Amino acid sequence: MEAEQSIADATAVILAGGKSSRMGRPKALLLFDSEPLIVHIVRALTRMFAETIVVAAPGQELPHLRATLVRDEVPHQGPVGGIYYGLRAAKGHFCFVTSCDVAFLNLPLISYLLSQISDCDVVVPYWQERFQPLHAVYRQSVLPLLKEQLDRGELRPIFLYEKVRTRKIDEDEIRHFDPDGLSFLNMNTLEDYESALRRWQPPLSISISVPVPVSCTVELFGVARLLAKTNAVSLSLPRGATLSNVLSALAERLPVLVGRVISPDKSSLFSGYACNINGLDFVRNNSARVHPGDKIFILSADAGG
Amino acid sequence: MYGFHARLLHIDLNSGKGSWHELEESRLRAFLGGIGLGTSLLYDYAPPGVDPFSPANPLIFTSAPLVGTGLTTTAKFAVVTKSPLTGFIADSLSSSFFALELKRVGLDALVITGRASSMVYIFIHNHNVEIREAEQLRGRSPSEAESLIRSELDSPAGRVAAIGKAGENRVLFATISNEGRHAGRGGVGAVMGSKNLKAIALCGDQESRTADPKGVEAIAESLRQRSLGSLTDKYRNIGTVANLAVFNRLGSLPTRNFQQPTFDHAEAVSGETLTENNFSRRHGCASCTIRCERLFKSLTGEEQRLEYETLFALGPLCGIKDPEVVLQAARLCDLYGLDTISTGGTLAWAMECSERGLLPGAQELGLRFGQPDALLAAIPAIARREGIGAVLAGGSRRAALETGGETLYWAMHVKGLELPGYEPRSLKTMALGLAVSPRGACHNRSGAYEFDFSGEVDRLRADSGRGALVAASEDFAAVLDSLIVCKFLRKCFTDFYSESAELLSKVTGWSCSSTDLRRIGERIHTLKKLFNVREGWQPEDDWLPERLLAEALPTGVAQGVSLTSAELQGMIQSYYQARGWDEKGFIPEKKLWELGLPIMQNENCKM
Repeated sequence: MEAEQSIADATAVILAGGKSSRMGRPKALLLFDSEPLIVHIVRALTRMFAETIVVAAPGQELPHLRATLVRDEVPHQGPVGGIYYGLRAAKGHFCFVTSCDVAFLNLPLISYLLSQISDCDVVVPYWQERFQPLHAVYRQSVLPLLKEQLDRGELRPIFLYEKVRTRKIDEDEIRHFDPDGLSFLNMNTLEDYESALRRWQPPLSISISVPVPVSCTVELFGVARLLAKTNAVSLSLPRGATLSNVLSALAERLPVLVGRVISPDKSSLFSGYACNINGLDFVRNNSARVHPGDKIFILSADAGG
Repeated sequence: MYGFHARLLHIDLNSGKGSWHELEESRLRAFLGGIGLGTSLLYDYAPPGVDPFSPANPLIFTSAPLVGTGLTTTAKFAVVTKSPLTGFIADSLSSSFFALELKRVGLDALVITGRASSMVYIFIHNHNVEIREAEQLRGRSPSEAESLIRSELDSPAGRVAAIGKAGENRVLFATISNEGRHAGRGGVGAVMGSKNLKAIALCGDQESRTADPKGVEAIAESLRQRSLGSLTDKYRNIGTVANLAVFNRLGSLPTRNFQQPTFDHAEAVSGETLTENNFSRRHGCASCTIRCERLFKSLTGEEQRLEYETLFALGPLCGIKDPEVVLQAARLCDLYGLDTISTGGTLAWAMECSERGLLPGAQELGLRFGQPDALLAAIPAIARREGIGAVLAGGSRRAALETGGETLYWAMHVKGLELPGYEPRSLKTMALGLAVSPRGACHNRSGAYEFDFSGEVDRLRADSGRGALVAASEDFAAVLDSLIVCKFLRKCFTDFYSESAELLSKVTGWSCSSTDLRRIGERIHTLKKLFNVREGWQPEDDWLPERLLAEALPTGVAQGVSLTSAELQGMIQSYYQARGWDEKGFIPEKKLWELGLPIMQNENCKM
């Protein structure tokens, strides 16, 4: 019999490949706590798990993450597909699986769920009369059953629960850690997102932290690329850096851009150029904050053609 | 009159006679020149319901008040007619020396009706009009026809606009070409071909005067300076091909007939890559300081002009990843006189249908996404109307209607005009602009994408604020297109309407305010719509292809983003409301009176 792994070896799996159709934009990239939501979730989980895996759709764009990236082999097979591909890639024998739209992960609750796995295959919370399959722990041994479900087109995870040893965590147990069930508050619409933003209270820093540099990538297009003779550069900036700091650092790295793309004071772009962050937001304010993993595009301000 | 000659030349090819008419100042004040004047003349000269290929359909060339003033980017002319591709207005612009010469022969508008009994060309030498035999030019490319006619003219200063084989064969998206440039969209070349008119040659020395030459010169100098600043850096130093890599990264590059908004091989065909590997030289229109044109050298050593729209349509839209193939395909389109956007869009439709087993003729030719040989074989077949080319010569909508079945779902057009290279699902303002444009899916008669690419709006989300933006953008374009000023200069104005009003006042001697100009823009746009209504426009014509409303974007930064019918409908309603039109998109009588357009009230308002 193989040695049981300890909880410390468990893997976190984040499913990011959903269609985000009701949101109308990729949920993983919504800004939350001043950073893309996926970055926020990965950061929270890496505090607790030895390994973090993000399961994305083929071709899906994501910021740089401190996680292993796995792609769905067949896109949009629903949560069963994502759980299957994530579990299959995991080094740990069991995985905590969640989605990319949960802003309020509760680490003590997750720790409790993991502690309940020893005699069973799945540990799944039951909140407000619904299973919460995307906030659950799965043992790798359920892989063959998930594969069968995929082959049959049974795309709902709850079909698995009746076939394996499933530990249902009921509301009383949950409330002990998470009285309001915020852990299960996922965001499907812009209204959900806005309401989550209102609810968010940044945790108070309890110790003087060592400044962590912000790494971001600047991608160059058009004239900027031709001048610099490179498509992209990586920059490391102090935490709290702004777009203006990015441009200064870029000017230091690629002086050829100064006077043509970047203004002589090295803190703004010439009027013919524009900046877009992560392909989503055109940023006109140079004091906008830059976040870890951001991709900053420098492009022409005129899209005519 | 300053800024205009106030003269119209009407040539009837049935009789071979030309007649000169005075152009009323009231018309010029109401519509300026270019597209505005052309639209107004189309309304009056085209019999309601005319068949686009009927001899009675007027083919109208117009000049404009700023042409010949030396002002940068203003050497332009408009071609306006009823489009055989859409059945609605076709209003196209082209530029360079032909535009200057059109004004120098002493006219503001040239209206051509009738049909010659054999192939002819028109030669206008100041006040003299000659209809000359052109059977010997049949089958020649526009540039061959141009140089043969120029060598035949009495004056070496003569300028020529001509059609190619596609125009002769009435391919519905044939162009009229001059000096390598094209009046490209909507099939104006096919209408010219239907009149057995191969070319128009011009030679003149009639200068037009401006009311305040020193004042005009001062503004011209200021705009010249501004045209060389950062705001035009893209156009001056890489050209419009720069759009491809950016659009790809932003999930807005239509690929494989709009299956995806990103192209896996975008880097291989990007403007940056072409510039590094194939750049030959930079070129510009007459009177232009920006000089945005880029010529690229292919492996065969030939130079080829390439713009973003051509690059997108013959590249990613057809799944083509080899820049050499794109250059060759672009050369063929120029050679035959074909609109590259509609050519690419129609071929992409054929490729999709072929891959789905719905179009045997395309399958036989081997038309599939990314297959260069079939693409290069199909372009001449379209121009010659041979084999499957005869079907494709009707454009994607007509080809799909002829083919039947589900193929209409894959035809990516609005009102019959193929979509340009701006993905509507990730550019929601542009989606509205494309749906409601009078000439069909058009990126030039409004610049709706501008709002999406500037961060002024959330480009991924539809909302009811877009109607007013699109309407304002259309009116703005109508003024630019009627003065005429190139769109690539638009950002160089600090306050476009007041600066242009001042400029127009100094050119014409009229007292013109920014409010007047805004009103003129709205009037011109409204008349285009009014023409369409007269020719049978119905509310369902303002819509987008079903694919865009049924499929979410599968790749790129905007993955998962969709555009629903309800969202589009909401934006369209906001647009009609902003325009002061009724909820179905018809123009109330009150609005026509308000704009000084009471001309067709009875025909329009009771529909």
